[in-house]
Amino acid sequence: MELLEIEEVRAGYGPTQVLHGVSLAVAEGEIVSLLGANGAGKTTTLRAICGGVRWDGAIRLSGRSLRRMSTEDIVRSGVAHVPEGRGILTDLTVAENLRLGEHLRRDRSQVRKDYDRVFEYFPILRERRSLSASTLSGGEQQMLAVARALLMRPRLMLLDEPSLGLAPLVVKSIFDIIRDINHTDRVGVLLVEQNARLALELSTHAYVLEVGRVAVTGLSADLKGDDSVRRSYLGY
Amino acid sequence: MQEFLQQVVSGIASGGIFASLALALVLIYNAMGLVNFAQGEMAMFATFVAFTLIDRGMSYWIALPLTLVIAFAGGVLIQRAVIRPVERAPVLTLVIVTLGLATLINGLAGFLFGYVPRSFPSPFSVHTVSVLGALVSYRDLGVIAVSAIVLVLIYLLLQRTTLGLTMRAAAHNPDASRLLGVRVSWMLALGWGLASAVGALSGIMVAPILLLEPNMMQTIIIYAFAAAVLGGIESPLGAVVGGLIVGITVNLAGAYLVGGDLQLAIAFLIIVAVLVVKPNGLFGRPSVRRV
Repeated sequence: MELLEIEEVRAGYGPTQVLHGVSLAVAEGEIVSLLGANGAGKTTTLRAICGGVRWDGAIRLSGRSLRRMSTEDIVRSGVAHVPEGRGILTDLTVAENLRLGEHLRRDRSQVRKDYDRVFEYFPILRERRSLSASTLSGGEQQMLAVARALLMRPRLMLLDEPSLGLAPLVVKSIFDIIRDINHTDRVGVLLVEQNARLALELSTHAYVLEVGRVAVTGLSADLKGDDSVRRSYLGY
Repeated sequence: MQEFLQQVVSGIASGGIFASLALALVLIYNAMGLVNFAQGEMAMFATFVAFTLIDRGMSYWIALPLTLVIAFAGGVLIQRAVIRPVERAPVLTLVIVTLGLATLINGLAGFLFGYVPRSFPSPFSVHTVSVLGALVSYRDLGVIAVSAIVLVLIYLLLQRTTLGLTMRAAAHNPDASRLLGVRVSWMLALGWGLASAVGALSGIMVAPILLLEPNMMQTIIIYAFAAAVLGGIESPLGAVVGGLIVGITVNLAGAYLVGGDLQLAIAFLIIVAVLVVKPNGLFGRPSVRRV
């Protein structure tokens, strides 16, 4: 059963159309990479899923159409979106940001366990929890964003460039944790990345967008091995 | 010295009233990035509601919370019906809408209740009691106590409850809050409700001193603006501290410096001075941030 299905989605901002018919799917418990150059429509695809931009076509979560649903309701039905810029509330403390991640959950004992796990992944967040989130470095903010998404216990995580601007070691630890979350909780992940090499290692399937259309799709392992795809689309 | 102390206590009492209305301004400023020019008129109208309830024989201590509940509902209703449709409009449009709202409520109050000033009951007597050698009226002490209780309750709601957290989140960063499942639009409506209720409190506290009529809040709102600007227009704590400072300053200036006629000018002086010297106020954050 597909967790997320997108069919022929067209979307844009005002008169500018960005997506010209994008189709993709994420199965339950699968990691899928969405690659492509700047301006190809990766971020817009994620926004469309979360109702952040007007779209035509079909988007379904576990078979249920997301058409005309508000962002709040899409999130409440199990989608955690870590947006470009991470969506950290810098007026609030680290603890308050985490609290907002789990504030809709009723399973308090499981929430406590999830906090333990989050602080095991990211000990720095426990140390800094009473500080304002604005005092965190870029890497720490990314950790906070991923930790908060984990606390939401989503069925699907949308991650927009989690490696952006981070030191290679931090990137590696965040990717390890994404893999672990996916593995233990069977969370589906749609990963948008500039760093194609890293993304292809993590994912099972990949889609390459080019000016608002899917140009190439296939198993990540195949794409990784295909020199022409690598040279023309992935740039490494 | 004794008289000075009396003036200070009475300044704190006015400060509590200004602080309540300033807090209302701050709550809405945070929710829509704009001062609500109708805040004073909304408070005045709620005070007329309280007056009507008490006039019909209801006890003050039942009429007060009931009025706050009605004011809360009224605030939510105004946000849903009047503000939400123009939410994304340019700032100037919103300014005009709140100014129009102020005029509308003022006229409606005049139409329904008339312009004859009415004396509003206070549950506290004007008799005095000696505090540290100063003679202080029970009414001032009562106003201080009621304002303090309500301000503490609002602080607890905003800082210690999940509802308060989601309200703050929705006001500061609506887009990020939506992605966490916060129903932003309703949180902003609750902000209006809360502001309306706390503003109503200031009206009910000031009415026994000023006499109730449709224009009653028009000077008080200036003091509240001064308090909110002084505290930093985004900071609830700043509004309270600003309210107290404005209350005490205006009272002392009225007694020793300029007399009653120029007290309002002092408030304007504070507004201008803050905007020139420290535009973000005492507790406001500079608008430049690390990115």
